[in-house]
Amino acid sequence: VSCSMAGEEDLFLEEKRFKQYCEDFVKHSQQIGDGWEWRTSKDLGDGYLSKTHFQVRNRHIPPDLKEKNNDNTEQMLFAHIEEPLDDSQAAGVCSTEEVVRYEYHVLYSSSYQVPVLYFRACFLDGRPLTLDEIWGSVHASYQDRLQEGPWDTITQQEHPILGQPFFVLHPCRTNEFISAVLRGSQEHHRRTNYIILWLSTVGPVVGLNLPLSYAKLAPEQSTDADL
Amino acid sequence: MTDDKDVLRDVWFGRIPTCFTLYQDEITEREAEPYYLLLPRISYLTLVTDKVKKHFQKVMRQEEVSEIWFEYEGTPLKWHYPIGLLFDLHASNIALPWSITVHFKNFPEKDLLHCHSKDVIEAHFMACIKEADALKHKSQVINEMQKKDHKQLWMGLQNDKFEQFWAINRKLMEYPPEDNGFRYIPFRIYQATTERPFIQKLFRPIASGGQLHTLGDLLKDVCPSAITPEDGEQKTQVMIHGIEPMLETPIQWLSEHMSYPDNFLHISIIPRPTD
Repeated sequence: VSCSMAGEEDLFLEEKRFKQYCEDFVKHSQQIGDGWEWRTSKDLGDGYLSKTHFQVRNRHIPPDLKEKNNDNTEQMLFAHIEEPLDDSQAAGVCSTEEVVRYEYHVLYSSSYQVPVLYFRACFLDGRPLTLDEIWGSVHASYQDRLQEGPWDTITQQEHPILGQPFFVLHPCRTNEFISAVLRGSQEHHRRTNYIILWLSTVGPVVGLNLPLSYAKLAPEQSTDADL
Repeated sequence: MTDDKDVLRDVWFGRIPTCFTLYQDEITEREAEPYYLLLPRISYLTLVTDKVKKHFQKVMRQEEVSEIWFEYEGTPLKWHYPIGLLFDLHASNIALPWSITVHFKNFPEKDLLHCHSKDVIEAHFMACIKEADALKHKSQVINEMQKKDHKQLWMGLQNDKFEQFWAINRKLMEYPPEDNGFRYIPFRIYQATTERPFIQKLFRPIASGGQLHTLGDLLKDVCPSAITPEDGEQKTQVMIHGIEPMLETPIQWLSEHMSYPDNFLHISIIPRPTD
């Protein structure tokens, strides 16, 4: 990550860095069989991270949200990876199972100079899930976090490369929380993969889990001394 | 010689005569007459077609009506693109009026965003304005504005109030005196033939030597296939708001005067008609 100016400025992610972090990320994903791949667009050569997975869901009513979590941001960043992500336990409700196909894409926004998470889900017959239906499979504590987190909204938007509707976690406040954590890791001379840090934070809110082994990703052998 | 401000008015008040026809497979209780409307180029389909919806719903049964959507010659029209862009991209060289087909069933989930309320249009419009200001001013100008200023931009668009809109928008068109333009130009280039919906990249309006970059410079950098090959004839047109600006036009000037209300230059590359 390069600093645009010394000290207080937000740490922006340049596109080349983004691609490098994604490359390292995909390598690790391949080692552990986590299913991420890099897709390059044929015309302009830009690209994005992509993961598709299938999940068996119960048809059920989402549980009532319990009282708000008091976790602060730091806990959220480091503790959540261990929480299992499964369908909420709605005791006693009759359910039928069905298979849902989830797709997650990580694209680079040159306007905001941050990564952006796009996602969508559909049943096997092609019928897309609404945002409410997707929420039904997200762990209750993360539904709370959506209100508190450093993101403004989730909206439906056109995928800038595929041209199809996806849900998007709005990126304009990404830098606030990423900068705080990255500065901390820099002070301890720890190299951090921006993508892992960012995705491990925003992913669980939309049903995407990163196995803990990503945290052990070997720091990049970087020759440029911009830390 | 026309004042630059006149260009702002010409852009704002551009209209496209349109004929809306109900899709033949929609189930009606009596025959549906077509509905004619002058559409504002700078607005969005779902913002200006309440009367169209009401007109056709009068001849349909309530249970046959779900979310309205529009199509031109088999292509679903993206309501989140400005109307003028849709016309330039899909129908610019046809005989007027523009014939749009209206649907109330079988919403094309893979092609179109949902638009359940005006709030969705407002959120989309404001998101575009914010992104444009991130490019022009690192978001400083838009973030310094109060919520009521943001609201005024939206209300100006919704109610077709040029003065009300530009009272606020002029601030988004300013830049520090020591600079000669914006940091980057907010633009998107569209071609109906590509899977990619548009091209958008970082592009500075001023070259390192201080010269103003032109529309031609932008195209050469970002979409070189749009520029005439030196030998052949020009197979494409570069269109903004229904006209072909000269390629020598400074992109900074275009950004200030021919952006849509969302502060983006939406540029269409279309096949040149061979009449």
